Amino acid sequence: MARTEYQEQLDELRSNVVAMGELVIDRYDAALTALEAKNESLAREVIEGDGDVNESYLALEGDCIDLFALQQPVASDLRFVASSFKIITDLERIADLAVNVAEYAIAAERERYPEIDLAHIGTETGAMLAEAVAAYEAGDAELAAEIADRDDAVDRLCSDASNAIVEDLIRTEYDDDPAELMDDVSRLLLTVRDLERVGDHAVNVCARTVYMTDHDTELLY
Amino acid sequence: MSQNQQSGDEASAESESLITTDVQPAETNRRSRSATILETRDLSVYYGDDRALTDVSIEIPEHSVTALIGPSGCGKSTFLRCLNRMNDLIDACRVEGEVTLRGKNVYDEDVDPVALRRQIGQVFQKPNPFPKSIRDNVTYGLEVQGKSATDEDVERALKGAALWDEVKDQLGSSGLDLSGGQQQRLCIARAIAPDPEVILMDEPTSALDPVAASKIEDLIDDLAEEYTVVIVTHNMQQAARISDRTAVFLTGGELVEYDDTATIFEDPADDRVEDYITGKFG
Repeated sequence: MARTEYQEQLDELRSNVVAMGELVIDRYDAALTALEAKNESLAREVIEGDGDVNESYLALEGDCIDLFALQQPVASDLRFVASSFKIITDLERIADLAVNVAEYAIAAERERYPEIDLAHIGTETGAMLAEAVAAYEAGDAELAAEIADRDDAVDRLCSDASNAIVEDLIRTEYDDDPAELMDDVSRLLLTVRDLERVGDHAVNVCARTVYMTDHDTELLY
Repeated sequence: MSQNQQSGDEASAESESLITTDVQPAETNRRSRSATILETRDLSVYYGDDRALTDVSIEIPEHSVTALIGPSGCGKSTFLRCLNRMNDLIDACRVEGEVTLRGKNVYDEDVDPVALRRQIGQVFQKPNPFPKSIRDNVTYGLEVQGKSATDEDVERALKGAALWDEVKDQLGSSGLDLSGGQQQRLCIARAIAPDPEVILMDEPTSALDPVAASKIEDLIDDLAEEYTVVIVTHNMQQAARISDRTAVFLTGGELVEYDDTATIFEDPADDRVEDYITGKFG
């Protein structure tokens, strides 16, 4: 095979993107665990560890730029590098959302809305993320498309949760300090949105994987 | 399918005997960008017993840049030379199939190869200006036709080749005194002076430094406004940069894929093309 070093660089990029994905999955899982277990030290580990993800992102961004500039990939190689370049941005954003969840785990008064099952939403989006990274690694467009299809169900879960919170706020007379109440409610709503956004980013990873594998842009737009 | 078969000897003899016979011009009206100007049908070429090109069928749209790429020995230069019958000059070369310019088979007996080459000009890998003045280099093609070249003709051709501003005050100087990049643009000026319809280029920048090569690339883009350009290049990124359509030839003289350049370089249909352009083969 010609261009051996170039092929090795492509293989290395794939491995490193997957490694970044696994790091982000770990951080997101840890944030969800911290939220459910009200484990402040674990939450702080997620927050303080975000720099590792950012470093990984910047290194991979540099690798992609080097490949574009020095190797000028074309065809499936071009789609692979371009997709990887976009996917690392989604992974970095997911890590930021994991930090948000961890911060909420430290600050939130979760007793107020015990019926809002954040763990369930988080588990669903976390599974989508893990499978999306696996689909990217395997170049499995079929799996990627299946994962993307699950996002509507997650959106419904999040919408139902948000509606329940707002309806409760309207119907219930709380004796709490209004400012404290609004702070709790808004943080919870934002967390629901953050979990839902993780699903969206997982869909983006899937869309890039489908494009990378099949040159199919349907999920991109 | 009609076929033409002729030996190199016959072709060379015809080239000499018909030198004063003008090829009948085909339609002169410029067509839409998508109209086909050049077409080959089942074009095969043999050098003695060796088959260099295998049943190549292709339609080249006018006012476009078509790149021919492929590994060494794949037949792309052979194909290019068939388009204006330069292969006639090779004794052992035998051509089968059709090459049509606006529907007229260029291998028909009533076609004068020399006149054909004014309609389908050519620029070669190494700049090859004649040891004459810049002006005489440009006017050569017209004078061979028995036409007198005016100063306006010279200026038009040199402007068309993006060389006018650099040489307008030294038209009497030897073309050989120019830099390599300028010499190649002089050759392009010589090719466009007779106002051809098609310009064939066989690796026109491979002997040039990057700056001179980039000027030629810019020029090719401009030339496509007035002419149809077919270019052989070993530089795939050059093909990607400058061409509208790309034809990929692989070993055995087979045209494996021909499509919009963006499609070839983003999503080729044939796995062999994918392997070739990504460097996994060749």
